[in-house]
Amino acid sequence: MSGLMLDDPDGTLEMLRDSVAGFAERFDGPEGFRARRDAGQDLDRTVWSAMAEAGWLGLHLPEEIGGAGLGVAEQAVLSEALGRALISEPLAQLSVFAGVLLAQGDGAERDRLADGLIAGTAIVSPAWQGRDGAPAPLVARVHGEDTVLTGALCHVSAPVSATDFVVLAEAGGDWMLLSVPAGAGGLSVDAAPTLDGAQLGQLTFRDVKVPGNAVLARGNSARAALEAAVATTRLALAAEMAGIAAEAIDRTVAYTRDRVQFGKAIASFQVVQHRLVDMWSDAEFAQAAVVNAVETLADGPGKAADLAILAAKARAGDAAVTITRRAIHLHGAMGFTDACDIGLFMKRAVALNATLGQPEELRLLFVAREGVAA
Amino acid sequence: MEAQQDWNALSDDAFREIFREWVDANCPSGLRFMRKQRPVFDEVAEWYHLLAEKGWLSPVWPQEYGGMGLDAGKHIVYVEEWARLGCPRIPDHGIGLTGPLLIQYGTPEQKAFFLPKILSGEHVWCQGYSEPNAGSDLASLRTSAVADGDGFIVNGQKIWTTLAHCANWILLLTRTSSDGPKRQNGITVMLVDMTTPGVTVRPIPNLRQETDFCEVFFDNVHVPSANVVGEVDQGWALAKAVLGHERIFLGAPSRPEYAIRRLERLARDRGAFDDAGFVARYAKLRLDLYDLGSAFERFARVLRAGGTLGPDVSVLKIFCSELYQRITEEMLTVAGEDARYWDDLPTGEGDVDAMNLYLDSRAPAIFGGSNEIQRGVLAKGVLGLPG
Ligand SMILES: Cc1cc2nc3c(=O)[nH]c(=O)nc-3n(C[C@H](O)[C@H](O)[C@H](O)COP(=O)(O)OP(=O)(O)OC[C@H]3O[C@@H](n4cnc5c(N)ncnc54)[C@H](O)[C@@H]3O)c2cc1C
Repeated sequence: MSGLMLDDPDGTLEMLRDSVAGFAERFDGPEGFRARRDAGQDLDRTVWSAMAEAGWLGLHLPEEIGGAGLGVAEQAVLSEALGRALISEPLAQLSVFAGVLLAQGDGAERDRLADGLIAGTAIVSPAWQGRDGAPAPLVARVHGEDTVLTGALCHVSAPVSATDFVVLAEAGGDWMLLSVPAGAGGLSVDAAPTLDGAQLGQLTFRDVKVPGNAVLARGNSARAALEAAVATTRLALAAEMAGIAAEAIDRTVAYTRDRVQFGKAIASFQVVQHRLVDMWSDAEFAQAAVVNAVETLADGPGKAADLAILAAKARAGDAAVTITRRAIHLHGAMGFTDACDIGLFMKRAVALNATLGQPEELRLLFVAREGVAA
Repeated sequence: MEAQQDWNALSDDAFREIFREWVDANCPSGLRFMRKQRPVFDEVAEWYHLLAEKGWLSPVWPQEYGGMGLDAGKHIVYVEEWARLGCPRIPDHGIGLTGPLLIQYGTPEQKAFFLPKILSGEHVWCQGYSEPNAGSDLASLRTSAVADGDGFIVNGQKIWTTLAHCANWILLLTRTSSDGPKRQNGITVMLVDMTTPGVTVRPIPNLRQETDFCEVFFDNVHVPSANVVGEVDQGWALAKAVLGHERIFLGAPSRPEYAIRRLERLARDRGAFDDAGFVARYAKLRLDLYDLGSAFERFARVLRAGGTLGPDVSVLKIFCSELYQRITEEMLTVAGEDARYWDDLPTGEGDVDAMNLYLDSRAPAIFGGSNEIQRGVLAKGVLGLPG
């Protein structure tokens, strides 16, 4: 048994899996990872355009704004397959997160961004976090029609390639989401390399002025949009990590079956077998947790979905990180090289696991949300 | 080089005091607590030469060969103070490996030629044991050495050779015969000048994207017979014997010690000590480190009493390398969202190389006999289990 076991009455999920498999033949994941990293880039625009062409970027966006209108199951299957293939462009942030924010907004500017996002012509990057990862709204001052923004935002994906940012700001206790063009006056970008061969940025806003129509959502709907984006992206990340976990175990089984020491395959040593079985069972639990979250969310948002998503991201994160770590060990010194792909899976797993909450934090949120202690 | 006194006649405390005072005054501050675990020779040359002048470069070599002649107990003090003061690791294959091997098994000519050149830094050594198909199963090595006139012609490949790209001599295990019933027979130890035609070194970028280890290729490389150590075909026992009491240092707590200081720095900066969950996990790690010290002492005491180490010392290496990993894993938890970044993390007390340590901590569980191999040693050698 392997992969996300989800109902697939019309074969859409299978088509998506095939589509990623075909894509990975044209754009090798590990090679792309190294190339982007070595070039110091935050995004491979060629790969990104091909992802747009494949129809992946607008997969979950509603049809009214040009998306494919597909559900969480499709998104999870796509993310899982990308994880397996180690196609590591920041789809979770630039398509899922940004897409959910846009879907919850309205107005002409929203439509322009959604069109660009889906076509791959605009790189729309959400910017809303402080250093510690929590929401850290910019200070917004309203000047007639314009809004003036000050402050700093961290952990921004594709900070150099982005054409537009969707930023979180606050005015008089009210949250709002605004569209800010990448070249806006007073906006500066500091990019730093990530573990998974990309760049994340810190954006500094010094009196950045945007027009009134830049506001995509405000008040409760801005809050709700952000919450929905976090939850949906956590689920996509969980699926991606479940894919990484499954791929890492497959590769390690193959490697240890092949690698001969003391006259036999190292996979024939019982201690290695037991390690592999433990790794496999962690991957199975991760898959099960993701399927549970997909199905629970498909029944509608709410407490049950919140819990299932927190559980899935925590479980899949732990699984992906520990499986890849043990996989490196079972590869011996080979696993300690940059040339061996297994290390890239480990780095990607660590980076995704640290995105939008590490397992311990998520488990604490789960328990708090369940409300047993209160 | 300064004349040496009889260090072993001093109490451990007296020796510790003298050693620490000089090292603290002389080890360049820019080299203390280096981020890099494995600096290359040029980066630490100043410190290397200072130690050599003082006569303190080779703690265990007998004084007649330019060492300090420390017994195991004093050697432990030396290593402990070295770590406490944050001195950098120096390229030490000559001091720790080739030197002791030659002192024990070398000819008078080999000793006279090679030992002074190790002390002067003229020869920088690396260890050519592992091969692509001979890792845990080292005895299956195949790099061949065929007798040819007054020497041997060597063909084959070594891999994972640490610092080979800045070494000029390699201590090589070769296969000189494969007729015997046991694969351990037929292995020969050779001293090979890496500038000999036919030797090619290719660095291998590692998980940290640094080049600490290399592949070394041998294409019809001529090695004079005078460079064979011990008897031809009898090298396996030599290679095994040379480690001796030094096996205790595979479990020396210096790496987890360094890592936990960095964890504490990060935790203070991020306010993690206000988090009861973190404090409980930190306390566990802290006491594991503390107790590793006690376990280390248990073996050190055997050595101080003039005893020899048994297979049970492997327990230190396993515990130490796994503790190092657990500490670095906790660092990434404390780093939170910052665990996505490649670079060192800034804190109010200076940078913390969380990711560097996390990646580095994968290695000690693999090298020096992987932890599975060490557990096998304990199972058979200590518990006497069958199979
Ligand atoms: C950073 C680093 C530096 C090194 N420097 C040097 C150097 O300077 N010179 C040198 O000669 N070598 C060096 N090595 C090589 C090192 O000695 C080998 O990596 C080690 O012996 C393991 O061999 P391997 O990598 O081929 O792994 P393998 O032997 O292929 O092992 C792969 C996995 O299988 C497991 N395994 C193997 N056999 C068994 C068994 N019987 N039972 C259970 N599990 C088993 C191992 O534990 C490991 O997890 C270095 C390695 C590293 C990582």
